[in-house]
This record gives sequence, structure tokens and C-alpha cells, in this order.
Amino acid sequence: MGKINKITLKEAAGLIKDGDMLSFSGFTIWRRPMALIYELVRQGKKDLHLFEVNGGTHTEVLAGAGCVKMWESCWVGHELYGKLGEAVARGQVEGSILVEDYSHAQCVARLLAGAYGLPFFPTALAMGTDILNPKFDMLGKAGLRDGSNPKIPLKKYDTIQDPMYDMGKMLLMPAANPNWALVYAQQVGDEGTVRVLAQTYVDLEVIKAADKVIVIAEEIVPDSYLRDDPAANIAPGYAIDYVIEQPYGAHPTGSQFFYDVDADFIRTFYQASKNADAYKKWADEWIFGVDGFDGYLEKLGANRLLKLKANSVMGYSTTVKRGTR
Amino acid sequence: MTAKNYAENYKGADLLAVAAAREVQDGDIVFAGTGLPMLAIALAQITNAPNAVCIYEAGSIDGRPKDLPASVGDARCATQSSVAAGLTEAFYGQLHNGYVDLAFLGGAEIDKYGNVNTTVVGDYAAPKKRFTGSGGNPDINSFARRTVFIMVQEKRRFKDKVDYITSPGWLIPDWPSGEMKPKKEVYGKFFNGGLSAVITNMAVFRFDEDGIMYLDTVHPGFTPEQVKDNCEFDLNISRCKGVTEKPTVEEIELLYKVVDREGIFLP
Repeated sequence: MGKINKITLKEAAGLIKDGDMLSFSGFTIWRRPMALIYELVRQGKKDLHLFEVNGGTHTEVLAGAGCVKMWESCWVGHELYGKLGEAVARGQVEGSILVEDYSHAQCVARLLAGAYGLPFFPTALAMGTDILNPKFDMLGKAGLRDGSNPKIPLKKYDTIQDPMYDMGKMLLMPAANPNWALVYAQQVGDEGTVRVLAQTYVDLEVIKAADKVIVIAEEIVPDSYLRDDPAANIAPGYAIDYVIEQPYGAHPTGSQFFYDVDADFIRTFYQASKNADAYKKWADEWIFGVDGFDGYLEKLGANRLLKLKANSVMGYSTTVKRGTR
Repeated sequence: MTAKNYAENYKGADLLAVAAAREVQDGDIVFAGTGLPMLAIALAQITNAPNAVCIYEAGSIDGRPKDLPASVGDARCATQSSVAAGLTEAFYGQLHNGYVDLAFLGGAEIDKYGNVNTTVVGDYAAPKKRFTGSGGNPDINSFARRTVFIMVQEKRRFKDKVDYITSPGWLIPDWPSGEMKPKKEVYGKFFNGGLSAVITNMAVFRFDEDGIMYLDTVHPGFTPEQVKDNCEFDLNISRCKGVTEKPTVEEIELLYKVVDREGIFLP
């Protein structure tokens, strides 16, 4: 019988050190570990190194608070509810955040290598782009590819001529093995088995690639329930180091079969993310001005959360007003 | 055959969605991004291409959304999908493996070879402004057999040289040397195809044998010269074959009453 190591949001954030490399579950504005993101900001983390296949609202909350030193990814924004990643963009333009761009699938290749214990993974996707321009190897230009940081590869990428079937030139993408995977999953078993509902995004790969894994569970359920349908699970309990049970732990991002994206909340945050003063006001209200995540949920109010509640058959809210009609 | 009943009242975005939908051939396996591409594939599936299937890069394969997704990671993408997986399946199992026939993409800037920038304004090493970044744009554009870009027509966006090549067109740098080569040479045996059309609020563009953009049709109300004036590069308008087919009354009705009945992308 396995067991889970249950901790609080405060304890979880306390485990993460300044300068650590993090990756996340989810996709843009879906299934992000928001409750833990807020706690990282509250605890004033610095110099974080984010590696993620794409960014979203969680990235911007961290970047706006000045927690991020390095961001390796390909995209950041809030989909329909905020078209740019303003805080990352500001950091890149001002030079306070070191940005290393890859393509989406190149980021996936880096995680695949990390997840499967390989030093690199080959791909032919997104060749012939400035992503590969040696002048734009930003971590290299900053002198960070000297091997002194074990989380930074010696090269941004390399090329190889296919030696097997003579397919021609290909790229080799270095493994990404973050210190931490911060994951939000709908269900975690009482022995730690993890299940996410609907699309799996890169959650399987993030969990396997990271040294340590913290999962925020919307609910903890009997492991036997998850083991009745093992094909629907994405990770065994022994791969999970810590579990936090936190209902609504992904808000304002969406969680299939539990709640929809809180579009109004993200729109308001997006406006605030456009300058440092407005961000500070927003964070004072929603992060520092509430008593932890419980205080945040109380401030949101039951009515607001009920409006986001997913239809139990469809998996998303069928009542929330999404457009103009 | 009955004559088509063309709409008299429609918006620019409606024409874009309809023109994009007409690029879908029946049976196509389509990779679509957030926004107008979602309208285009959904409209195509209930009009000219009932057997086309859709893949969203977050991992839903051949979904049959009952309600329009607002983004590619949306729970709604996975409804009735044959497989709800993740990015590894979408990018490697489907795209790298060669299944994808057609993709709809967007961009902030484009040059005459179809190189697209969605990353920065200015020098990447010291940018003036950052956009969202590549997302899956270069991956999808590099391996789909045909790609269609939906863009805003402005002189500052149809440039001689884009500030940063996020997504590969027909003449691209071969790194690490950076020598400009035709896409076919850079991709070797991995070459599947590439950019086939660009649709803007003014016109439809295609690419000639040398991979250079030319004007194919102008939208109703515009002239080829107006379109040329809205390109920084010297646009070839000699092959323009006329006016873009208008949306039909039925297509507009389907767009507003079925595809985007909630008014998410078409307010």
C-alpha cells in the first residue's frame, strides 16, 4: 500500500527555493496550479527559472510579482481574455527577465527527453526559423551555458544528419529536467495515483521530467476507484512527492468537469498586468489582501464560483455567458 | 444547379471565416488555432467538407464540439473526440508523423516568401515589443501539407523583411549558417508542403512556383491597387483572377446561428 504525503499550500511553497527551475501542468488558461502560484508570490520567491511548453495566467502572476529570472517557452497570453503576456513582455524588453524562445513542439521535445531519461530528443519541426539563429541564444549570450547550472544545457540545440534512414538534417533538443513540477489534477487517489479529466496536455511528461512533484488535487478519492480504470490515470503514486487537497485550486483557470475558466477575473487581471503599479494594486487586493487561498475563495464568493460550475455530463459550464448572444 | 443566394450584409470577419472554410477539402485532417480558424473548420464541417476532421494542439483529436471552444485547450474541444490526449500526440503522433493536410494559422507580420513573425518588434536581442511568441505556429506550418494564414492587411504588416522569422515560409535560413534556401532544401525528405494561401480583410493571396506571394482575388469593394498599396513589398497583382466569392445567406446564417451562436468571436 502506498501513501501520500499531504501538506499545506504554505508548506509546499516553502519547499521551493529562490532560483529553482519550475514547470507546470495545464495549457494556457486551463488546469494551472494557481493556489500554489499565489502562495509563491506571497512568500516572495525570487529568480525562478520557468520552463514551460506554454505560459498563461499563472506565468503572468509570477512575472508581474518579480519572481521570475528566466523564462524558457514559446508563448504567453490569456487566450481570448488577454492577448499578450504583458509582464513577461515588459521583463524581456526591460531586460529583467531572460527569455529563451523555442517552438511549441521543440519545448515538447525537451520535456520528452526529460521525461524518458534521455539527454536530447530529435525533431524536424520548426526548422528554418530565427528560433535557431545562434545570435538569439540568450542563455548562451548571458554566459549561462558553461555547465555550472545543472539545469541549463550546454547548447540551446544542435543539428544532426539522420544517420539511419538518410532523412537529412534534424534538430536535437536538450532535455528539460526541472527541480519541481507544480501540477493541478482533478483527482488524486489516497495512495497518490493521479488522474486528469479530458485532455492530458503535457502533464505526464512534466511529472516524469521533474526531480520533485507537488500535486494540487481538486479532490482526494479512494485509490481503488482510480485503479478500477487504470488506463485513465497518468501517474503512479510513487512518482508524486507531495499532495495538497484544495478545491478550486486552479481558479481562475478552468478544470474540466469541475469549473470553467473565470473569464472576467482573467480580463481584469490582464488589464492590471499592463503596468507595474496596476499589478501591485491587483496583487494587494487578491494575493496579499486575503488570508491565504481560503480568504481568496471567500472574497470570490459562492455565487461567482457556482456560475462557473461545470455541467457534470458536458464537463464545462453550460450556463456561463461567454459571448454577446 | 440552383444559383447561389449571396449575402448583401456581412462583416469583414464573416468573409474571412467563409473564405477560410472554403479552403477545407472534404476529408482533410485539419489543425486549427484559436479564433477565426475555429469558425472556419466548424463551418466547413457543416457545409463543403462534412468529412473533414479537426485536431487541436492541446491534444483533442477529431473532436465534435457541441459548443464552440474559446481556445484550443478548452474542455469543449474534447467533446466526442476519438482521442483526448496531449501535446505529444498532437505534435508528434499526428503532425510529425505526417497526418495533417491543412492548418489555419495567424501572424503579426509576413514577407513576400510567407515568413511570419509572431514574436517581437525590432531586434530580438533588444526588442521594442514582444508579441505572444511562436506557440505551435512554426511546427504546424513546417509539417502540414497546406497552410492558410488569416491576417490583418496593413503596410506595416506586409513587410520587405520581417523582424524575426517565427514561422517558415518558402525561402528560409538554414541554420547554423543562416544561408537562405528554399524550404524544400532545408526540410529534405521531411518536406510535406507549406503555405498555400493568405487571407486578409482585403484579399486572398497565393504563392507562385518560386514561393513568392501574389494577389489571387480581391474582396468585394477593394481594388488590386489598394491591396498593393497596403504591402511594403512590390506585390504581384498580374495574376489576380477577380473578386473573392461573397458569403452566401446560408453561410452567414450558419455562422451566427449555429457555429458561433453565443457571439464569442463574432459579436
